[in-house]
Amino acid sequence: MLKAVTGRILSSLLVIVGSSALVFVIMYLLPGDPVASMIDVSNASPETIANLRHQLGIDRPFLLQLADYFGKLLRGDFGQSVLNSEPVLPKIAKHFPATLALAACSAAVSVIVGVLLGVLSAIHRNKPIDLIARIVGLLGISMPAFWTGILLLLIFSIRLGWFPAMGSHGWRTLVLPALTLGLIGAGFIVRMVRNSMLEVIGDAFVVTLRAKGLSERAVMYRHALRNALIPAVTMIGVLAGEMLAGTVVIETVFSRQGIGRIIADAIMAKDLPVVQGVILFSALVYVVVNLLVDLSYAVIDPRVRRAA
Amino acid sequence: MYSTQRSFKWTSILLAVSLALTLALAACGNNNNGGGQAAAGDASPSAASPSASQADASSSAATQGGELTYALATSPDTLDPQRSGLAVAVRVIRTIYDNLVVKLPDNTIKPWLATEWTESEDGLSYTFKLRQDVKFQDGTPFNAEAVKYNYERILDPATKAANASALLKPFKSAEVIDEYTVKLNLETPSRAFLGNLSQALLGIVSPTAAKKYGDQFGKNPVGTGPFKFVKWEENAEITVERNPDYNWGPEIVDNKGAPYLDRVTFKIAPEEATRIGSVQSGQVLAAETVPPQNIVSLKSNPDFQVLQANTIGLPYTLFINQEHAPWGETKARQALQYGIDIGAIVKTLYLGTYDQAWSALTPGVLGYDTSLENAVQPDVDKANALLDEIGWKKGADGIREKDGKKLTLRYVDGSPNREKRNDIAAIIQQQLKKIGIDTEVVITKDILTEVYTNSNYDLYGNSQVNGDPNALSAFYHTAPKGALGNLSKVSDPEIDQWLEQGAVEKDDAKRAELYKKVQQRIKDEAIILPIYVFPYTVAASKSVQGLKFDLLGYPLFNDVSLAK
Repeated sequence: MLKAVTGRILSSLLVIVGSSALVFVIMYLLPGDPVASMIDVSNASPETIANLRHQLGIDRPFLLQLADYFGKLLRGDFGQSVLNSEPVLPKIAKHFPATLALAACSAAVSVIVGVLLGVLSAIHRNKPIDLIARIVGLLGISMPAFWTGILLLLIFSIRLGWFPAMGSHGWRTLVLPALTLGLIGAGFIVRMVRNSMLEVIGDAFVVTLRAKGLSERAVMYRHALRNALIPAVTMIGVLAGEMLAGTVVIETVFSRQGIGRIIADAIMAKDLPVVQGVILFSALVYVVVNLLVDLSYAVIDPRVRRAA
Repeated sequence: MYSTQRSFKWTSILLAVSLALTLALAACGNNNNGGGQAAAGDASPSAASPSASQADASSSAATQGGELTYALATSPDTLDPQRSGLAVAVRVIRTIYDNLVVKLPDNTIKPWLATEWTESEDGLSYTFKLRQDVKFQDGTPFNAEAVKYNYERILDPATKAANASALLKPFKSAEVIDEYTVKLNLETPSRAFLGNLSQALLGIVSPTAAKKYGDQFGKNPVGTGPFKFVKWEENAEITVERNPDYNWGPEIVDNKGAPYLDRVTFKIAPEEATRIGSVQSGQVLAAETVPPQNIVSLKSNPDFQVLQANTIGLPYTLFINQEHAPWGETKARQALQYGIDIGAIVKTLYLGTYDQAWSALTPGVLGYDTSLENAVQPDVDKANALLDEIGWKKGADGIREKDGKKLTLRYVDGSPNREKRNDIAAIIQQQLKKIGIDTEVVITKDILTEVYTNSNYDLYGNSQVNGDPNALSAFYHTAPKGALGNLSKVSDPEIDQWLEQGAVEKDDAKRAELYKKVQQRIKDEAIILPIYVFPYTVAASKSVQGLKFDLLGYPLFNDVSLAK
């Protein structure tokens, strides 16, 4: 068990280092010059541009820049924004709570709606509730978050005025964004849970349980659901990535603070240190969530525990 | 296979449902129209009178207090005026800082933090007398030392004041004559210099605060302006509150004292639907940058007002690169001038909410030549004839050829699609097909390399906000040897001479004449294709009164009050 965990942690570290190096290379190769986002290049003299490039260190050879980047990372220095000299790490720390709150609420919506509808639709196959669950599943998967967000915003904020359209303070600002983002996750989970429930229900052990005279409720919720949950939990790990990516769009639509907004702005402005910092941070979060998901199998499924 | 078809069916049902919902919502929106046309007449775009608010703030007594919520389209980069590079930051910067002078819509320059000034005979120095009753918001006294510190700070490369230092040119040094007198020395005489001192990027910052916060001054801004900075929650909101000591408002506003509002909260709302929707639902009182379709519908709604102020300087202009054949030939360029129906483009894309540009300058800039309005009308036959004349004949595929070479045009534009500029490119591509020109549209994020380093374009568009006609120099004066050159690669000794004279001419009437000559020559030689004048637009609740705009189109909150 311990050996497996250590192995997972080591490979996670590799993912983090690899992804930050990859981002560095991609941002380096992308067209566009950070200087162009800092000043009006059509008005600036070539000397001004050259000076700025020198100050930013982007006139140096690629390998030197890369080595410098990792050297600083090792010292815990994520660098500072080229736009306003703000240090990157505190900036992320300041914005992460808003993103975390959004992601957590969305995940809660995904899991609650997804598992509930998934189970109900499997049990009541081909009944109205099954139809509703499948519509929700399809909606979540096929509607772009942007579109859902605007639709919810137009109805529940602009028309009805129930929830604020923008901001990230208080639970009321969380409702619509979490619903939007949660619906995506719910879509995946509904389908997943429904399918695995149907599979499990058809399994021999369910027949045995029923034959033993166990109540239908006990069969479904104590035994079948437990078996059906394993793929759903895996899904949650994958969804963590979806959630992080989704915050970029959702935070923009609902004018929320958060690291999704930071990275969107930084990419537009080619603010390299900020982009790298946020990616590195997101990779870290993603890896940790997946590690936790892997470990949680052991809790749900005794077979995994024994195998490890 | 079965399941794909099934989900396709579901998708279509879904789409239909959401479409119906949207339509229903749109219909609800229209129900509010009530009086309709009666209210639609307000705020037609006009640069000459930037006091776009038709609301009667000056005549009726303004109410004291309240908070104005104002949604910005993007996030400011910094609130350090001397380091900022974004127009959106200036909207906030204007509330916190003052300038030495102010420029009025009629292009005259009036006192602000300076009470009077004299210019030396050789035009190489300006001596300013300063107000003696001004204090920065942190208590630092405003005096000659402060002014000297500010302009030297801009020159200091460590400040990274790229845009501000360009504006401050040809400033050389500052001397403190006595506590409230400061002398600014120039490298060369410049008629644009004094006017530039009115621009927000040359706003006066508190020396104490600037030294104390260094790099982070932009997050802790202190000026002498009508509002004091309170807090900045990044990507969410910026709050400024009434500066009760304020008593030195410039001539461009009615209320010279402390503002009526208790505070202004700038909310950052990048998504158009959210921003405009929040005004419609009353969650914010005003929002900037209204898309054309919303301008049209908001104007017909009696609960709201749309304020517009045309920005001034150089309109959005397509520059024709004369270094690339055949565009060095006047007739080839004229063929573009006649072959492109700019009026139709501007009407189609902006639904009548933007004005078409006619000259290298926008209306409102000193010397703008009104005689150029409507002077060029699209004429496809003329365009075809001009191209025939210089030997470009239509081939079998309808594209013109000469000496076995096809007539192509490389049209470069930036990404993202700012103000639908990419759509302009697409329409021009279609229009030019009719006169036998094959247009390749290249949309790129890397304008710096493509345009400014490699000059790899035949057509490239740009605009500039600027209060002085001297702005033309950077775009039309022959470039110094070894430099990249101006966007049109134009080099005309007469234009050079007029621009040089214009830069130093002391008589404004004569100066205006010189710039008119430049504009006429630019039109006659078809050096550019002027496209549109960009209006700064604000949608606001009817209760917002007294919102004004400065010469460049930036909002001023000194006179704003909220009707009950």
